[in-house]
Formats: sequence, structure tokens, C-alpha cells
Amino acid sequence: MKKIMFLMLALFVGFSASAQSMPDVKVENQEGKVISTRDLVDGTPMIISFWSTTCKPCIMELNAINDNLYDWLEEVDMKVVAVSVDDARTLSRARAMTQGQGWDDYTCIYDKNQDFKRAMNVSLTPHTFIVDGKGNVVYSHSGYTPGSEQELFEKIKALK
Amino acid sequence: MKKFLLTLSIVVASMLVAEEASAQIKAGEGQVSIALESNSTYYMEDKKLEDIGLYRKDDRFKGNFGSNDFLKVDYNLGRFSAGVQIDAYLPPLYGYDIYENMQRDSKCTAFFTKYVQWEDQNWGVRLGDIYDQFGNGILLRTYEDRALAFNNSLAGARAYYNFNNYATVKVLAGLPRLYDVRTKNPVWGADLSLSISDMAGWYDGVVSVEGSYVGRYQANAIETMSRRGIDSKCLNMVSGRVNFEYAGFTMRGEYATKLNKDSYIPGAMARKGNAVHIDLGYSYKRFSVTATFRRIEAMTTNIMISTENMAGGNLLNYLPVLTRQHTYSLAGLNPFMGSPSNNEVGGQVDVYYSLRNKKARGKYWNFHANFSMFNSLDHKMGNDIREGRNIWIDFNFDVERQWNKSVKTTFLYSYQRRDTDQYDTPFAHYCDAHIFVGDVTYKINKKHSLRFEAQYLAANDYEGDWVAATIEYNIAPMFSFYVSDMWNCEKMQDGMYGNYKLHQSTGKRDYELLHYYQIGTSFTYKSFRAQLSYGRNREGIVCSGGVCRKQPAFTGFNLALTLSF
Repeated sequence: MKKIMFLMLALFVGFSASAQSMPDVKVENQEGKVISTRDLVDGTPMIISFWSTTCKPCIMELNAINDNLYDWLEEVDMKVVAVSVDDARTLSRARAMTQGQGWDDYTCIYDKNQDFKRAMNVSLTPHTFIVDGKGNVVYSHSGYTPGSEQELFEKIKALK
Repeated sequence: MKKFLLTLSIVVASMLVAEEASAQIKAGEGQVSIALESNSTYYMEDKKLEDIGLYRKDDRFKGNFGSNDFLKVDYNLGRFSAGVQIDAYLPPLYGYDIYENMQRDSKCTAFFTKYVQWEDQNWGVRLGDIYDQFGNGILLRTYEDRALAFNNSLAGARAYYNFNNYATVKVLAGLPRLYDVRTKNPVWGADLSLSISDMAGWYDGVVSVEGSYVGRYQANAIETMSRRGIDSKCLNMVSGRVNFEYAGFTMRGEYATKLNKDSYIPGAMARKGNAVHIDLGYSYKRFSVTATFRRIEAMTTNIMISTENMAGGNLLNYLPVLTRQHTYSLAGLNPFMGSPSNNEVGGQVDVYYSLRNKKARGKYWNFHANFSMFNSLDHKMGNDIREGRNIWIDFNFDVERQWNKSVKTTFLYSYQRRDTDQYDTPFAHYCDAHIFVGDVTYKINKKHSLRFEAQYLAANDYEGDWVAATIEYNIAPMFSFYVSDMWNCEKMQDGMYGNYKLHQSTGKRDYELLHYYQIGTSFTYKSFRAQLSYGRNREGIVCSGGVCRKQPAFTGFNLALTLSF
């Protein structure tokens, strides 16, 4: 089994890289209505961050982005999409938390069946993506260390 | 060790991949994406754990190595997608429930899942492994949780159609997965949701009603279980839901019931189950409050009814514990696991408030308080009637303060009262614990930061007091290093719990105050992440998404890898 995995990995090293387009999946918005992730693509580059109420580094990252957001907006046009992967158990807590953390400027969506998480190949949260105005995934990063939000800003600036 | 080295070589290969393929692979017009997750442990001898009989209690686990690995490959072309996933347990990590279902002589096991899917504007079809849930998942939830090695995907077909946003109808059928086998018990279901507000042309809020039906068939159900009162091969379940949202106020309610008698605990009599779940919420600007009430009576549904205990993987529906899941180790040391007899009533309330400075965005206070309480219901144990009683109460308060660009502090207080007697003995035995946590993050500069965390647990009973501390040094965005220790610092001489070595001849107990230490580092590059740690792990409960598994004590090296592109 290990050998198969190893071989597969080795094979993919040879492929060339190109931008991946964001998959179209049904998620819920703040009001609980079903929306398509395709609707998020509106010409504005975005940071898409997967989080959950039990993931502390996720919340730290979203708070850090929030702290810097107005400074960043002075330089680039962008938006932030916070994708909660909380299930039925913590979904209502997640909705409350987006308000209680002051994430008013974020587009908050809820992926309670984790369809978007699976489609974006997220294994561990936090996992953050940068998607350009046309819906191409141009960068992704997993994990959070204080200060790594700066890298996201650099990448989004480079899109101009 | 050889396997561990092999895993390490995969790290190197993964890094090369991450370096090379920053985004993904084009295959014709479509695109291929790949995700790999690997979690491996090399188990070491630990004299101290051995002395107190905690090490390798499970004689089924003989080797020194365990590895849970997941490789997922997807192909996407417009509205079409297809994919495969390999779950490989080489062998499974020590303490995972999947052991319960494996052949005694087999060490390793693997399982393939696959799907093809068409996702159109208003409709979609999926064949293969299906992950879905109806409402809160009280009737049905098929999902994957790798932290528990749980996956009950349904191999079959699913289709849905959305009519003008007014109505959505979904049907599905398939055979659920139980650990590493595909069961022969078909499960089928239908879900209808009607948006009343859309029909009425009211767009200021949301009003919707929903209903679900789920069926399960087991050919040998009556033969195996007639003594326990099962009288049908087929189990039928229904649920109804109402959702309402207007001007910051939300209400969601669900009632679910089983129409046939069902057995969910080996040894217990079959009966009809039911559940009520109500969520209420209100938010205004940066203040929000949410409350949940839930009553469940014999509503747990197994994939397969059996006379044997098949542990946590044998589940078709989702009834998680609703208490707060803590991220600090001592606050989550002895979490609420729900009533094992599956009869409970209770609820929880959360209040959030964020106090923000309009001029300085980087300065704020975040407050959060949470209360929950659960009681067991009157229920029959053999010929006895056990009266319902309180089995859990907790109150948590935490405040987070961002002082300026470089300093952030968090303080948490948690009070927890639990019935340590597993809720099903005639008398309760309460243990009260008070947990205090302080956490400081200091950003030295744009890249370097330091985090320190101190915790204390004061308890009147059980294992007594605990103390814990963590120091973490981060170099953004790539490196992180940490050291932590958790110490059971109080001897409970007369208690029945705690860790001790028993002298057979004298009956004397030598208490051992154990340190549970961890040292680790993580490396992140784009979507590649590797974490290597070494330490001693406490025997305890590991929860993910409100579902828990028992984790035996062990000492060893752990390597966790994730990669996607």
C-alpha cells in the first residue's frame, strides 16, 4: 500500500502546475439558505478560510485577518469568506460566533455536510485559499502561525 | 522503525510535490486534485506506564507502529466530477475502534471509496459513496471523521431536484460502510424541504418546513434479536422540522421518531425511540445568544443490530453531545460523553459579545459564556427502573483581549460537575472540577511570536488536581516549536481512581504522579504540513465533533502529514 502511495506521489511530481478553478458546491448562508459557491465569484479576489468553533488557530487567523482588513482594503480590492465546517452540533454556535467575534465584514457560509471541504481537499483546518476574481484558486496554505496572514496579503496584492 | 523511515521518505517526496505542483494538474479539459493525509505513531517502551498497568492493555496491539493514511484523488470537468479515496490502516493506530471489527489475525486493512457526480443548476445526481444528512442528522448522517477513523458512507445513489427555490426533494439509497467492510443492510431515505417564505414572496426572513423518512433493512434482524423484542426486519423512521428566521431571531425545531422497535445497545430490550431538538438564537450587532434544547429517548440507530458490541463505528445517525468542546487540555480532560443508555434531556446556552474600539481595529475584548446541563431519563436496566438524575453541569466563561498589535491574552474559567459512575449505577457519584486557563501570545515582530499557556484543574475527587503548561515559538509562516507538560499533581490516597501500582501481598497502593509531556515541531509550506512530536499520552477520551473514543495511554513519536494540490 505504501509503495502504491509512494509511486503515485512520485508520478505527480512530474506534472506541471496551473490554476485550479473553485468547485461549485451547495452551502448555506448566514440566514440558512442554500447557495452555490459559484455565486461567491464576482470579480473580487477573495480569501477563503475554512474554520470551525473547535479550531483555535482558525479563529486566531480569522481574527488576525479582521484586525488588518481595513489597512489591506486601502491597498487592494478583496473580500474574505469564512467557511464554517461545523456540523449540526455546533452550527448554531458557529453562527453566533461570527457575530460575537465581530466578523461583520466577512461573508460567512456554512458547510455543515462538508461538501465544500471535501471538494477543496481540506484535510485539516485552518486551511486558507486565495481565489482570484475569475474563480481560480491561486494559492493555498494550511495551518496558522501568528504573522502568516501577512503572506496572504502579499499573495493577494500580487494578483493585481 | 523501518516503516517510520518509509513514512519519513514520503515527507520528502511530498515536499518535492508541494514545491513543484503549487496549484494542480490539468488532464485534458478537466482538472485533477489530490489530497494526502497520514498519521503515524512509533510506540516506545515506557516503564512508568507499564508499572501501573496502563501500557499496552490491549493485547491485540502487538507491533510498535501504527499508521492511518488517507489518499483522495478527484477529477473535475465542469459540472462532472469523479473520485476515489483509499483509507489505509497500516496497521490502525492503537486505540481506534476499527480494531473491534478487524479479523484477529490481520494487522493491516484498507478500504476504497469512489463516486461519480453531476451537479447541475437545480439538480444533482451522485453514484458511489454518499455523504449526506437530513436535518440535524437525527435520522441519518453519513460522514467521515478521520480523527475517530469513522466513516459510514453509503454506497448507492442519490438524486435531488430544486424547484424554483420553493421546494427541494432528495432521495437516496445504499449500503452503509462499517469500519472496513460494506454491510449488507440497505438504507434508503427521502427528504423534502419547502420554503414557505419564497412561496409567499416574503424575502425579509425565512420560513421553511421540512420532513424526512429513513428506512433500514436487516435480513436476520428477527432471528438475532427476537428475544429482545424486535418484530420487524425493517426499521422505519420519520422526522419533521420547522425553521424560522427574522430580524436576527432564529428558531429551528425538529421532532424525530422510530416507527418500529429497534435495539441499539447489546443486551437492552428493543423499543421505539424519539427525539426533540430545538435551537433558538438571537443576534444584534456584536452580541449574540444561542440556546439548544434536546431530549433523546432510545434514538441511537446502528448500521447493524447485533448481539456484539461494535463500538463507535456502528452508527447510522448523529446524536452528538452538545456541551462545549474545549481546546485546552485540562478543560477537556474528562469531557461529557452523553448518557450511555441513550436517554437524556438537557440543553445549553451560549452568549457572545465583542467590544470593539471604532478607531483602533486591532484592540478589542471578546466575551463568551456558556452553560449546559443534562439529566438522564427514567429508564429500565434489567428489571430495575433507574430514576432520571443529573449527569452533567458545566459553566464556562472566557474573555479574549487584544491589547495592541503584539499582545493578546485569553482567560478561561470552567466549572464542570459530572457523574463519574457512568450514569447507570443506582447512585450518582459527583465530581466537581474548577479549571483555570491563562494564555498569552506575544508577537515579537512580523514573523516571530511566542505563546505561553498555563492551566490548573482543582478537583475534590477522582484523580485530584492537575497542572499543565505549554510554550510555543512560531516563525511565520513555516515553523512552529512547542513543549508542554500535564501533571497529575495531587495524590488521592483513598480514592478509587488515580494511577497506582498495587502490591499484591500487602494490598498497598503506590501512587504515581505522572507527567504527560509533549515536545513537537511543525513545518508548513503552502498546502503541505508536517508535524513531528514525541511524548506520553494520557489514557482518556478523545472527542471530535461531539463524538468520542477512548484513547489508551502510550508513549511514542508521532508524525502527521497533510498535503493537497
